[in-house]
Amino acid sequence: MKQKVEEEIRSGIIMTVFSTASAVGKTLLSVNMAAELARSGYKVCVVDLDLQFGDICNYLHLSPQKTIYDAQKAAENTVGQLDYGEYITPYEYEDTIFSVLAAPLNLEEAYNISTQAVIEVLAGIRGEYDYVVLDTTATFSDLNLAVMDLSTMITFVGIVDFIPTIKNMKVGYDTMRSIGYEKNKIRFVLNRSNSKTHIELQDVEQLLEERFYHILPNDFLTAIDSIHQGIPLVINDEETALGRGMQELIEKYTNRARQKSSRKNASLSSWVKRLFK
Amino acid sequence: MPEYRVLLIEPNRIMMERLSSVVRNTKNFQLVSRAMDAREALGQGGVFVPNLILLDIDAQESMQLVREFVRAFPQAGILALSSQWNAQASSAVVKAGAKGYLIKPFTSEELIAAINTFGNSGMGMISEVMTFFSPKGKSGKTTLIANLGMALAQKSGQNVAIIDADLQFGDMAVFFNLDPQSTIVEATRDIKFLSPISLNSYFMPIAERVRVLCGTKRPEFAEDVSPKAFTDMISMARSLFRYILVDVPSAFNPISVAAAEASEQVYLVSMISGGYEGKHMQRALDIFKAWPDYETKVKTIFTRVEPCDIQKQQQLEALIEYPVCSILPNEYLLVSEAANNGRMAVDIKPGSPLARSIDLLAAQIYGRPYKVG
Repeated sequence: MKQKVEEEIRSGIIMTVFSTASAVGKTLLSVNMAAELARSGYKVCVVDLDLQFGDICNYLHLSPQKTIYDAQKAAENTVGQLDYGEYITPYEYEDTIFSVLAAPLNLEEAYNISTQAVIEVLAGIRGEYDYVVLDTTATFSDLNLAVMDLSTMITFVGIVDFIPTIKNMKVGYDTMRSIGYEKNKIRFVLNRSNSKTHIELQDVEQLLEERFYHILPNDFLTAIDSIHQGIPLVINDEETALGRGMQELIEKYTNRARQKSSRKNASLSSWVKRLFK
Repeated sequence: MPEYRVLLIEPNRIMMERLSSVVRNTKNFQLVSRAMDAREALGQGGVFVPNLILLDIDAQESMQLVREFVRAFPQAGILALSSQWNAQASSAVVKAGAKGYLIKPFTSEELIAAINTFGNSGMGMISEVMTFFSPKGKSGKTTLIANLGMALAQKSGQNVAIIDADLQFGDMAVFFNLDPQSTIVEATRDIKFLSPISLNSYFMPIAERVRVLCGTKRPEFAEDVSPKAFTDMISMARSLFRYILVDVPSAFNPISVAAAEASEQVYLVSMISGGYEGKHMQRALDIFKAWPDYETKVKTIFTRVEPCDIQKQQQLEALIEYPVCSILPNEYLLVSEAANNGRMAVDIKPGSPLARSIDLLAAQIYGRPYKVG
């Protein structure tokens, strides 16, 4: 028993990225969080829990062989510890390496995934990583609730664009509080802060009775560009305000000062790497 | 206020007395004749010149009788009476020519509501259910449905329903600035005890011929809506509305699948945002291709299309390798302003490109020949 507790203490930090509205930038934030944590020296795995229409592999230009479907199936059929290495797709860009547990290849698989088995998989992989980043869908599904229970921290992404979205943020937050999640476990991150809107940020914070933990600048074109390049902004050689904003978020989360030098080194080695490709 | 001259056919004597008393005590209703035997009423009822026939259909043969009554009393409206709601019987009597279906015993209020609902609009003849499905996330379909519902009512002059089945985060109530007394949760909870008339009161009126059944007030209520009760509710709503537009949660889930299966038409809606919308649309289409009639049943719509022209539409068709039924332009500010004010875009600027595109789609739906089954 004692040993089990110790194991749990050693296990990786689970960071879930959630929202109550779609298209707020969950996936972009997830891959960038993973990349920035990896760049900072942590062992990181990002898991695509948008089982039906997951975009992580699209955003990173990966073609996975094995997915979460295979992993959870193996977990269901295996007693004891499983080696999750074979279900992972590695992402590598310059000096940054992190793992991806991809969404299922087809919809039939996505529809036939057991929440319990996914939880088992996550319990398994968290033992092998410092950080596990979970990208979700904008709904309180069985799966999302189960992984939020498990999570160390929930990054609740929002956009202040129009009233229905804000209503859903409020309703979603109230729901999470009523389930019993600590305030401290939920961190509001505002995306696209200066997008065209008539709504004041303060009004939203007043409604939520909560401050935004972090605010990301509106940089839609940069975001789209990075998606098409398949390179997370935080490890791209070209510095952008949005990439910087996401790095700052990770700095807050990891409670560390920013290491400017490592970016420099990374770009140098990338330049060399590209020459010898 | 028209005077209703009622011919009542009811085989059970006690029920007959009870219903007779209700009809007599309802303002503007006159009980001109009554019969316990339908054949007898067919032969002799004509001399009393009824304009409303309340016909029991629980007795055998009655379905056949509906047809004969329609022939014998072409000037009268026929309401079928039954002691319980039965979707199949309801649709059969309506196909046979009855105006609607009323559960007995009824009160004066229910009788009047039935006349108002079925009487004026020539309802119940046919109905079309359309589900708006989005593969992934934000699609702009709530805006589309709200505006399309209004446009369809205007074009057809018939009753339109919008059902917000986006159970956790439905926005229809906010769109129309409603604070509903009853929502999809209550309607599906009560469905076993409802008749079309009583179901109608769960829908909030938002315009002359448009009603909305709002989504849940809190996400946790979503669990209370069972797919079975949900499809029962849709099938009952068919006798109230000519067009039923259903907003469902994105992706494949029990509710979106149930709605799609209960529909004549499924619209896959996706918003262009520079990501992988085409890929997701294709992925969703692949599932619907299991239906033998998917080519007629499943249509695609893209929103926020820039430039919103025929070349772009063809490009999208090439991308997804499937016809694109409609493309809607980007009107972000117009739409968000409309939503923030609890009003729909067509309400504000009828001439805007978005309103025009939606109008075009409404015309397409209205002009479509109705396909039975």
